[in-house]
Amino acid sequence: MKNGDSMFPRARIPYGTWGSSYFPAWQMSPLAEVNIGQFAGEGANRILGKRKVPKNELEYLIIGSTVPWHWKFWTAPMVSSCLGQRLPGYHIEQACATGLQAAILGANEVQGGTYDVVGVLTFDRTSDSPVGVFPERRSYERTVALSDVWDNFGFDPATGNAMITTAGIAARKYKIDRREVDELTHHRYEQYFNARKTGFLDRVLFPLEILNLQGRMLGKVDDDLGVRKVTLDSLRAMRELDTCVTGGTQTHASDGMAVMLVTTREKARELSPRPEIDIQFVAKTEVRALPSLMPEAPTLAVQKLLKRTGLKMKDIAVAKNHNPFAVNDVIFSKVMDYDWRNMNNTGCPLVWGHPQGPTLTRVLIEALEEAVALGGGYVLIFGCAAGDVGIAAILKVTEGGGQ
Amino acid sequence: MATTMRPSTLETLGLGTVLDIFEKGQLPADSSDLVDRVFGEPGNRGSLVISGANGIVGAGKTMQLGSRLQPFGVPIIALDFPGVPDGIGRQYQGLVSAFGREGANRIMESIVQLSYDGTHLPSRLKDANPRFLLEAIPEILDIKKSHYDIFRAEFPDIQIRSVTSGFPMSQLGVGIAHPAFPHEINKIWEVVESKPSSITQLFWALGLIPIPVSDHWSFVLDVLFCGLTLTGLRYHRATNMPFWKMDKHIRKLLGPNPFRAHDAIGAKGANFLTWSCLFHLSKHYGDLFTPTPELDERKESGQNWYPPNHFRPLVNWTMQADGEEEFNAWILGPMFQMAGLMLHENRAHLSHINIIGELCAQFRRGILAVIRDFGPEAANDIVKKYHALHPAAAKSAWHPDAFEQMESTSWRQLYVNAEHNGNVGVITLGRESYNSDVNAELNRAIDWLKSEGIERVIVTGDFHLSTQMVGADTSDFFPALEDQSKGLEIAQTWSKTARRLNDEFKISVGFVNGKRCLGGMLELLMHCHYLVAAEGADLGMPEVTLPVVPGMEGCHWPFRKADSKHWPKLVTLLLDGNPVKAKDAIGWLVDYAGPMDASLKTVWKIATDGDHGLALRKVEVGVLKGVPTNVTGLESAGDPGMESARKTILENISSSCEAALPEALVIQATHSAGFMSSQYCRKGAIGAAFTKTTTV
Repeated sequence: MKNGDSMFPRARIPYGTWGSSYFPAWQMSPLAEVNIGQFAGEGANRILGKRKVPKNELEYLIIGSTVPWHWKFWTAPMVSSCLGQRLPGYHIEQACATGLQAAILGANEVQGGTYDVVGVLTFDRTSDSPVGVFPERRSYERTVALSDVWDNFGFDPATGNAMITTAGIAARKYKIDRREVDELTHHRYEQYFNARKTGFLDRVLFPLEILNLQGRMLGKVDDDLGVRKVTLDSLRAMRELDTCVTGGTQTHASDGMAVMLVTTREKARELSPRPEIDIQFVAKTEVRALPSLMPEAPTLAVQKLLKRTGLKMKDIAVAKNHNPFAVNDVIFSKVMDYDWRNMNNTGCPLVWGHPQGPTLTRVLIEALEEAVALGGGYVLIFGCAAGDVGIAAILKVTEGGGQ
Repeated sequence: MATTMRPSTLETLGLGTVLDIFEKGQLPADSSDLVDRVFGEPGNRGSLVISGANGIVGAGKTMQLGSRLQPFGVPIIALDFPGVPDGIGRQYQGLVSAFGREGANRIMESIVQLSYDGTHLPSRLKDANPRFLLEAIPEILDIKKSHYDIFRAEFPDIQIRSVTSGFPMSQLGVGIAHPAFPHEINKIWEVVESKPSSITQLFWALGLIPIPVSDHWSFVLDVLFCGLTLTGLRYHRATNMPFWKMDKHIRKLLGPNPFRAHDAIGAKGANFLTWSCLFHLSKHYGDLFTPTPELDERKESGQNWYPPNHFRPLVNWTMQADGEEEFNAWILGPMFQMAGLMLHENRAHLSHINIIGELCAQFRRGILAVIRDFGPEAANDIVKKYHALHPAAAKSAWHPDAFEQMESTSWRQLYVNAEHNGNVGVITLGRESYNSDVNAELNRAIDWLKSEGIERVIVTGDFHLSTQMVGADTSDFFPALEDQSKGLEIAQTWSKTARRLNDEFKISVGFVNGKRCLGGMLELLMHCHYLVAAEGADLGMPEVTLPVVPGMEGCHWPFRKADSKHWPKLVTLLLDGNPVKAKDAIGWLVDYAGPMDASLKTVWKIATDGDHGLALRKVEVGVLKGVPTNVTGLESAGDPGMESARKTILENISSSCEAALPEALVIQATHSAGFMSSQYCRKGAIGAAFTKTTTV
């Protein structure tokens, strides 16, 4: 691959047609009481409406989520019917890689020429995680109940380890200093609150009002509830749960949705409020780290991707990742010799939470918005996912590229 | 020969003027005579055939016409395909509710259900001597035409009317009698025929409301209703706003919930009819009417517009303040353009075009009354704004000159007309409830009669569009719930209008010609020097049940006209909200109640100084002493709102009766306005309607 070539030359992300809900922490908002598939559909319609994108422009819908929801069997047609435009499409699921993978697959649909406008809609509700009941003849109980969110966080069936354990193992492997982890975490919070203060997040997050069955207001989803300012001292004072991992230096479960479009270049110009902005997919890759070393997987993915594209970190205008553990960022910084202060400038999942499905979609949206504010450039998105997987992608934002 | 402010709507039925009715002392058409004319004389009585009788329209009309024609021995032949779902049986419980089981059974006895295969009529049909076919089969032109051919081949003299909601007479080759939903109770029929027929006049004589319209595609009602649905669809496409929310905003703006209405009627049938109507209109008039893809899909699928219960809306939609202007352009713009088209084509009497939306499609005010408020320039501006949003609509069917005649009497008197013979005038109210439009038009009618030198006036319903007088239009009170001064303004303004009937004519006679006269309408008519009512009419002051406090002088005016021995009855009328029969209110509320013809003659005698034998009940101008402050035997209201209203009504009675007549107007208006802005009114029926209408 040549430096900067597009992996999907036909596909574009139309600037300013995207949006995300806030991500309230689990059990803290009305989202704890809704069918998240319905919420995602209706919320996407509301966001597209505010973006002045007619929903009838959508031809296909790729949805992504990881926590089972009521009527999940009906996948994209069900969610899109709640959006007001029943569409064909499918559901994808790849743990925390879902949000980026869904966008890539949307671009793939456009590249194939089947559709000109594909919706990418990711969502999850970790609150009140459903409990699956599975017949397991080899288990002494014969039948196993599994709480989808917490039981999976706590047990990788391939290794027997919990997610948090992988962070501890990776921290020990890379000899990470707890003090740096706390400082990084403190910096990440400052970045997030600064992005709120400057109004940056208002450009990507949409407050939504939730109705009860009677059509009256149940509550508002208008804040990343659960996120509060932290001090360096308070972070330092927290008890370690595993090496370099405390309650403060890991993410928290939350609920939410995010939506974006992938279209042809022509449609992007038609639908975007700023048709001169051109956003292309450059490259994407995934890797698997050694067992129980999930936090290093994103770094490995980025290394592989840069090698393939011939790009260097200095070529990257915006770097943003899904970092459920602060350890992820420290490892990345150490391996790539890249100052962690230069990435995740507008916030990251470490701070605003971890609803899984939409996490990397929001990361992507924030990163693209940031890149546009900077006048364009390469955008590096990466993150870890269950199974010691790392995913990374590079997009190119060009001001005036559409002209 | 009557001189009229504008043509009466009754004349469009070939039934003369309202003045004629009083001059002749009888109604212009008799149902027995007309039944004989349409169905033949007794002994040779023919039948009414309703084809497609198990459909929504057919079944409803089988009930409506069956119940009205049963006393005349006219059998209804309900014709449909074998095996179709039983639509008629489903109507039975409604009949029982309306007529009792015995009455319902009698009506059902007169209905004979026959099956046919669409190509051959059942042989037994001949025995029924069909005289009138009301066709209610699907909206497919060729099928309809071949259906008529089959009937004409066997019954050459049969009169045929189609219930079509779209095809003109010129396409079908038969007259149109297009009824409005809900079909078992809605009295409105749009009729298309070369001249008023016996069938149309029979409908009128049976208490229905035929409205003549021109032979243009989709007539008037469906241009408005389907058109409004389309405006909502276009806004939906532009903004993604869901249909349930569209309904709330449209309801707030104009009154109807077009999408809910489709679901309530039955989306499968209603979606197709709306699509069919718009599709054919678009073929003739262009993109103003082109159905959107959402409607294209739903006419096939029959899918509801509202989500199913398990997907009750979850994410709210709020319209930004700056979005309202665009919303208004998307909704009002095309509605005004469509109204302009209908005016350009002279589709109907302006009062018909205006009122049909109110009577059949939940418009709070008729479309022409809304346009009139804007004025010609602003109305055209709204259409232009719409064209900027939807340029295709500007290419055809736009007649900006349609609004140029807005200063004409036909435009200015949409609800109220006046006629006179040089001596006696008649003011006719063509709206069942009193609102600011009626108030303004009534004042203009009074002004006109006075300018014509008329000193004797009869005030009554229009014997056509208004079959009863239900009182004030409480939606006019909405601003008063939040602003007491608005309530005061309404009460004072309307009371002043009512007083003109007492003060500015030598003789004024109020005549209750319909089933009931309640609340504000009764307050209005009681200001006439004489009040006459058809004997079966109900008269009442139900304000307390809403609750609201009468503000058009109901709390003192009737006391000033009644002997003190009758005052407890008036207090009871005001406090319990139950109506009384007109014949039971003679001497204290009305001056005469009798059969229709006798009442008409009495009214005319009073108005012409004839020998009517009724003493004038004079209005006591001074202070009234001894008005009861309570009545015995009144049941507890059982509701704090009604209790509070009773208390305020009593205070109102006391304080306004204890004042001299000139001061009483403001006193009673103040009580009424004060209560309207109270929590009790806000929590009552008006407050609930206000919240439902204005909270989106």
